[in-house]
Amino acid sequence: MSQHRLGARPGEVIDRDQPVEFKWNGKTVRGFEGDTIASALAANGVRVFSRSFKYHRPRGILTATYHDPNVIVQVGEDPNVRGAHQRIEAGMDVRSQNTWPSLGFDVKTVNRLVGRFLSPGFYYKTFIRPQSLWPTYAKVLSRFAAGGDVDPNHAPANFDHRYAHVDVLVAGGGPAGMAAAIAAADGGASVMLVEEEHDLGGHLRYGNSQDLEDLRELKTSVMTRPNIEVLTDSVVSGRFDHNWVSVVQRTIGHVEERLIQARVGALVVAAGTLERPYVFEGNDLPGVMLSTAVRRLINLHAVKPGDRAVVMTSNELGDAAITDLESAGVDVTKVLDARQGETVVKVSGGRRVKTVADSSGNTHRADLLVMAAGWTTPTSLLNMAGDRPKYSPEAARYLPLQLPDNVMVTGGMAGSGSTNELVDHGSATGAEAARRTKGEEPQPVPKLRPGIQPELYRSSTHGFVDYSEDVTSKDLISAAREGYDSMELAKRYTTVGMGPVQGKVEAVNAVAIHGEAVDNSLLETATTTWRPPYAPIRLGTLAGRKYEPVRYSAIQDWHEAYGYTPILAGQWVRPDHYGDPAAEVNAVRNGVGIIDVSPLGKIDLRGTDVPRLLEFVYVNKWSRLDVGKVRYGVMCAEDGVIMDDGVTGRLADDHYMMTTTSSGAGSVWNWLDDWLQTGFPSWDVRMTAVTDGWTSINVAGPRSRELVSRLTDIDLHPGSFGYMEVRTGTVAGIPGCFVWRIGFTGELSYEIHSPANHGLELWEALLRAGHDLGVTPFGLEAQRIMRLEKGHFIVGQDTDGLSQAHGFGVDWAIKMDKPDFAGKPELRFQAEHGEYPRLVAIQTLDPEVVPDEACQIISETGGIIGRVTSSRMSPTLGRSIALAQVEHTSAAPGTRINIRLTDGKTVTASVLQQHAHFDPDGSRLRA
Amino acid sequence: MSDVKRPRYSAWKLLTQGFSKKPWPKVWEHHELQSSYDVVIIGGGVHGLATAYYLARNHGITNVAVLEKFYIGSGGSGRNTAIVRSNYLTPEGSRFYDRSVKLYEHLAQDLNFNVMFEQRGHMTLAHSDSSLRTMRWRAEVNKLEGINSEVITPSEIKKLAPFLDITDHPRYPIHGALWHPPGGIIRHDAVVWGYARAAAALGTHIHQDTELTAIDVDSGRVIGVQTSRGPIATRVVINCTAGWASLISAMAGVTLPITTRPLQAAVTEPVKKFLHPVIVSGSLHTYVSQTSRGELVFGASVDPFASYSTRGSLEFTTGLATHVLELMPAISNMRLLRQWAGLCDMTPDFGPIIGPTPADGFYVDVGWGTYGFKAGPVAGESVADMIANGQPGRLIEPFGLDRFEKGTLTAEKGAAAVGH
Repeated sequence: MSQHRLGARPGEVIDRDQPVEFKWNGKTVRGFEGDTIASALAANGVRVFSRSFKYHRPRGILTATYHDPNVIVQVGEDPNVRGAHQRIEAGMDVRSQNTWPSLGFDVKTVNRLVGRFLSPGFYYKTFIRPQSLWPTYAKVLSRFAAGGDVDPNHAPANFDHRYAHVDVLVAGGGPAGMAAAIAAADGGASVMLVEEEHDLGGHLRYGNSQDLEDLRELKTSVMTRPNIEVLTDSVVSGRFDHNWVSVVQRTIGHVEERLIQARVGALVVAAGTLERPYVFEGNDLPGVMLSTAVRRLINLHAVKPGDRAVVMTSNELGDAAITDLESAGVDVTKVLDARQGETVVKVSGGRRVKTVADSSGNTHRADLLVMAAGWTTPTSLLNMAGDRPKYSPEAARYLPLQLPDNVMVTGGMAGSGSTNELVDHGSATGAEAARRTKGEEPQPVPKLRPGIQPELYRSSTHGFVDYSEDVTSKDLISAAREGYDSMELAKRYTTVGMGPVQGKVEAVNAVAIHGEAVDNSLLETATTTWRPPYAPIRLGTLAGRKYEPVRYSAIQDWHEAYGYTPILAGQWVRPDHYGDPAAEVNAVRNGVGIIDVSPLGKIDLRGTDVPRLLEFVYVNKWSRLDVGKVRYGVMCAEDGVIMDDGVTGRLADDHYMMTTTSSGAGSVWNWLDDWLQTGFPSWDVRMTAVTDGWTSINVAGPRSRELVSRLTDIDLHPGSFGYMEVRTGTVAGIPGCFVWRIGFTGELSYEIHSPANHGLELWEALLRAGHDLGVTPFGLEAQRIMRLEKGHFIVGQDTDGLSQAHGFGVDWAIKMDKPDFAGKPELRFQAEHGEYPRLVAIQTLDPEVVPDEACQIISETGGIIGRVTSSRMSPTLGRSIALAQVEHTSAAPGTRINIRLTDGKTVTASVLQQHAHFDPDGSRLRA
Repeated sequence: MSDVKRPRYSAWKLLTQGFSKKPWPKVWEHHELQSSYDVVIIGGGVHGLATAYYLARNHGITNVAVLEKFYIGSGGSGRNTAIVRSNYLTPEGSRFYDRSVKLYEHLAQDLNFNVMFEQRGHMTLAHSDSSLRTMRWRAEVNKLEGINSEVITPSEIKKLAPFLDITDHPRYPIHGALWHPPGGIIRHDAVVWGYARAAAALGTHIHQDTELTAIDVDSGRVIGVQTSRGPIATRVVINCTAGWASLISAMAGVTLPITTRPLQAAVTEPVKKFLHPVIVSGSLHTYVSQTSRGELVFGASVDPFASYSTRGSLEFTTGLATHVLELMPAISNMRLLRQWAGLCDMTPDFGPIIGPTPADGFYVDVGWGTYGFKAGPVAGESVADMIANGQPGRLIEPFGLDRFEKGTLTAEKGAAAVGH
């Protein structure tokens, strides 16, 4: 056994039968199951765990808890691991951070020598001239970034999310928290008890034999109640509106970490208190520890923290540390009782404590300085619940002030008392919490005494306030004198409280010491804002399993087997083409082709008021749409900007099918739902999103009628099934299909919608039936070329966030004589003003030049007067074709315009009479 | 040479100060409230302080008060993600922000205060054909305005930001990006303090903890304001209050087409530097940069509702983490440290509102939405010119309040909703 490991302690959490080997900076060290990284290393005589951020000073154990700023280490690929909390595991590769070349010899220690010039914010005052050298300075500064390393090849572990609904959630499993959980459970509530440490008990865990006895009793009582779920090594990280509470659950074996999001009836905060350091010269030397830290090391991990100690105590827990030190064989050479005015003034030593000077002028030889200077209340969750905790001078810390009824506080956070008093208060709080979740009138819970603690913040010397950021009391005072004289400005200027510990250790000290320079009543007036989360959360934990779905149509397997080239369109993976888009165009124009258009947004509308809804959301008229008819419609937002377009058909008396653009399906759904819920709640309209429910296949080309007729008994004769009509029936033996005649490609075409589970069957039936006709599958690219040849615009490509409907050739559709519709006032305004850009078809004079989409159209004087929105080589016409937005003054047919290509050259184009480059009178699609 | 009359900051001064026992001179003084000022600026953020500075430096107008309800930089100026760029979609937007970038480039020298502007490059990812088209659109407009901006390929992206996943990723593949080398990050607080210190040195009174309670208007013209510390007589009031802009304007009887929405942001613990440029993904509503301290700073799009709350939400951080890990799966072990929110004054066309109002003597510099910080210098300079010359200059002409009546909206809304 190492000389630093003590004999068996009654409350120890290590298993001496289970040795565990791991690596520390490349060397193998041994600890026991139950050791933290810090305790195992301390048992091996390690005293220096890190180098500080700015001055690279050696740092040792300070708090021995999760929040210890000095024991943050790299574990394998995981940076910034809390070494005083994380338990060791066999084979762990633990390394110190922020050291170069090694922890023992660190080159940047040289910063200590120039410390007097590195006053807070020094970087704002230098590197100003010459400007040309600043990028070099910036690079050097960024080398000083603290923290561990991330590996670009790190493969993320599994993270998980869970949702919970609990009546009472207790944050903190100390005596009060356990008592609250028991009482709430006995009051009939379902309870979740969350403890940050590896076991329940709070400060009782490292207490005396009576504490351990009390702990056993309480814990047994908790564990025998089936309606209490206990989560250890877990932390309540946030409390949000309506008691939406987040819990990070660590060490659960099969997943790395889990985020629990719980809707909580009553939140009981029993997070205890954090011991705070005292500020004096040398207060960061390894060997300067909090009283709770030495008690944890001795009682939980059987580690001897030093040989010769000076203890500065100001409270009962500090006194208890003396007893523990003595029982561990540490020579307590001097006790400074701060209640009697005795304090520590200075600690000296190179890499660890050697001497301690006290306020009486005496110097003591020691390797350990233990400080019990008071408490910080971790009010984070209370702040998030809207509380503004108030400073109590007699307790020398902040106490809760006012909370909503569904958040309660107990234990050390609420005040001070014996274990029995804390347990009684916890019980009363837990019982009341259970009552409140039943909707009963809230009753006050008797208050705990605030407790008595001398106000101890700083000695007559200066020392470190923020260990993570290397901010001293001198820095804070000089910043305040320089003009950064509110706590918030001082915080931003000195970065106090901005480091990984987020002010948990130093918050009250910072306010008190800043107050020395500006206003001694600052503690009473200042509030410290603790922003979420309470403890840092890994990005992986927040993300959980990643749910970013991709959508496929029912025909996907066929597309893949047929060698498609995929393209992502919104959430959908679609066939862009199957090898040669131009050949696909020719096949459709000359024969027949089929395309999978399943991603087309589809909304099933039923009810007697559907016509009123259509009339309202589309700019055109819908009141007289007979059964069997479909109509094209344009939707505008309230600002008159084109939002979406598509066709809607009337399948039966009170049954309509609306289609939207593929990418607009979600937003149109929200838009309709918004109007129905907020504008017209009494209307009889039922909406169902059925995009995935139907497989949609467009059969296009002059021979499409011939093909479809082979598979259906629907009468396809042009006289009985005309353009812009819909029929329902059986296709390829699949009942319940609907078919409409529309023509995005500009060809005669039938769009067949079958129940999605028959989609592949229909697709294959079409291919078989059309084999002799040369039926050709075509992809999105061929469709885009054909619609461009035809001059049909695509919302979001040819239009943008300011595209006003009047400029887009759909004036015919806008019916200003309708009583009201979305966008009407703005459209009237547009009609009156008329100076909006126009969508026009253009052709380059050189038919071979295909400008890139988004190329700008330039005036004679070089100003921007428009841009190319769609541009392709047309296989049908054998020339370049395009759509463009241009200013109204350049929109007249025949106008010559100049396009600036991406390589800077200019090409001239001419504006066409109409949008269509091909078959302008539409004889093909009406065939 | 700088116009700042105080002891200058320099390496030499840092050295001599290090040896001296005397404290650093004050960055700005506290003043009693005067009974009258030539100009009263509402809001002690980067816009208000920059306006005060340029009024004094460029036009010699120094009898100016800046009123700040809390502490300087407590609003959007201290809550943004400190990104500076000029690769906007519209010519007027690009021109305007280009001037801001130019001012930022020399700001440390101008103010004798290192604002730590690092021009690391700004990269906007395109995850689809259509967003690549939008990037090309922006690049083409930018080039015509003389701004360094181009579309780059995935392999070029990988060289600039090795942590980005450019594999054939199923949901958000990276097809290309808009690359804007002059863009970068800056210390936002330093910008606020630098302007405050320089303006104070030229005679501006900065009144912190001073809340505006009323604006006195007589026969359609401003004659003074009421504050928590007493009244001030003045003929010129400038509203630079971002998220609170519509409430302040209402005090002068001016209605603004502005909705205030929270925008959330977050920061991680520091790790050693691995990310140099600023990365933006519009589709994933995320932008990320690594500070020189090693932290990753994340921002998002505005919350989908109107509110004056600056609390953070859990939905934000869970969504953000999902999106960030889509882009950089290797950083799943980095820990989110802190989250917060700021308020954005959103206009219908996402363009700002700068200029005179129907209340004579009451000017606005508001409606900045999510772009306010990066516009600070040019807005301050332009507003100062407008006050001195009596009319808006060329750069801010397109952004007048009357455009909402004339129907001449700006087109920034056409760009992706997340444009940082």
